Amino acid sequence: MIMVLIRMVRFGIEFVPREAYWKTIYYAVQAEKRGFNYLWITDHFNNRNVYVTLTVAAIYTDKIMLGPGVTNPYLVNPVITAQAVASLNEAAPGRVVLGVGAGDKTTLDCAGVEMQSPLTAVQECIDIFRKMTSGESVVFQGEVFRIAGAKFFFKPKGKIPIYVGAQGPKMLAMAGRIGDGVLINACHPKDISYAVDCVKKGVSEVGKKLTDVDVAAYTSFSVHENLKKATKAAVPVVSFIVAGSPSVVLERHGIDLKAAEEIREALKSSQWGKAFGLVSPEMIEAFSVCGTPDMCIERITQLLKSGISQFVVGSPIGPNVREAINLIGEKIIPHFKP
Amino acid sequence: MLRDVIDVAYHKVVKTIPLEKREELSDKMIDALLVSKNEDKMPVGLANTILYSWQRGLLVGDVGLVALLEAAVLLEPERTMEILGVELQLTNTTKKVKEVLMKAEK
Repeated sequence: MIMVLIRMVRFGIEFVPREAYWKTIYYAVQAEKRGFNYLWITDHFNNRNVYVTLTVAAIYTDKIMLGPGVTNPYLVNPVITAQAVASLNEAAPGRVVLGVGAGDKTTLDCAGVEMQSPLTAVQECIDIFRKMTSGESVVFQGEVFRIAGAKFFFKPKGKIPIYVGAQGPKMLAMAGRIGDGVLINACHPKDISYAVDCVKKGVSEVGKKLTDVDVAAYTSFSVHENLKKATKAAVPVVSFIVAGSPSVVLERHGIDLKAAEEIREALKSSQWGKAFGLVSPEMIEAFSVCGTPDMCIERITQLLKSGISQFVVGSPIGPNVREAINLIGEKIIPHFKP
Repeated sequence: MLRDVIDVAYHKVVKTIPLEKREELSDKMIDALLVSKNEDKMPVGLANTILYSWQRGLLVGDVGLVALLEAAVLLEPERTMEILGVELQLTNTTKKVKEVLMKAEK
C-alpha cells in the first residue's frame, strides 16, 4: 500500500516572487524540465504580483500545473480572484489551480487589514469563486462577503481545482469538506499525521474519501550534497517559522518556549545573527525537510506514509536554487517514480 | 541602432566559441546571472530571449549564447571575463568581447 502511495506522489515547488521576474521564471521552467508537477507562487503585496508572475510562467511553460499558493480573501476580493484565475486559465488551459487560505497575519497587519472570521471568509471565498468561474450571475449574502450581482462578460472555461491552505484543525477539516486539495504548512510526520486526521474528519462528513483530495505537504526545504550547507540555508526560514508557531506546535516537538520567544524578540529587533544563532537542531528537524538527497528522500517517504499525495518544495529550496532544483530532479523525484 | 550593432558583434563573438565548450559556458553564465545582485541592469528584451531559448532548449545555440553573453557582460562584467579567459581559456573570445565593449563605449 505504501509503495502504491509512493508511486502516486506528485512534486510541487513554491517560489516567492521576490526577485526579478526573469529569475523566478527561469526556475519555473527548470522545475518543469526536472519533473515537477505543480508550480505555486506565493501572494504577498510586498513581493512581485502573483498573477503577473503566473501569467509569464504560463507563457514559458507547457505542462506544469500552476496557481497562487496561496492567496487570501482579505486583500483580494473573491470576484477579482475568480477573474484573475479564470483569465490565467485561458493562457494555460487546464493547468490552473487556485490555492486560497486565510493569509499571513503579519502581512495583513502591514496593510491595515483585519483577519476577520478566517474560516467563514475562506469558505465564502471558495463559494463565490466556484459560482463566478462556472459563469453564474452571483448574488451572495454571506457573513463576510456581500455580492450584489456579479457576472463575467466572458465565458470562463473548465473547472478549476481549489486547494485550501490550512494549519488549524477547523480549516483542515473544511479543506477536506469543500476543497479539491489541501496545502498543509508542515514538514514533520507528527504534524502531517495530525493534519491528515483533521482532513479525514472533513471528508468523511460529506461522504468523500481521503483519496478524493490532493493532500500536499507545503514544506520549508533545503537540499545539498553537503549537510552543513543545506542546514545553513534552512536556518533563516526556520527561525521565522519558530517565531510564528503557536505554543501547542512548539510543545509537540519538545521545543523550549523560552528559546522560541528569544528568537521572536531578536527577529522583531532585526538582530538576524542572534535569531539565527538560536535555531537548534530540534527546530530544524521539526520545521524543515533539510539535508542531503538521501536524507530528504527518507523524510519524504515518512510523509507519504502519513498520508500526503503531493510534496511541495518551498523556500529556501537549497543554498543555490538552480543546483538544488537539478539535484531534486536528478536524485529525489526519480526515486519516487515507477 | 547601437543595440543592433552590438547584437551583430556578439553573434560574431559567439562563432569563436568551440562547440565542446558551449554547454559549460552557457551553464556558468546562467549561474552568474541568477546570483547577480545587478538584476536591474537586465534589459527586458534580453531576459525574454533568454527565457524563450531556455524553454526550447536553445541556450547553447547561437541566439541563446548571444543573449546570455550580452546579459552577463552587462550584469557581471568581471565575472564574465573570468569565466571566458580563466576558467574556459577562451582567449580569442575574451579578446573579441573586449573589442565589442570598446566599440560600445565609443
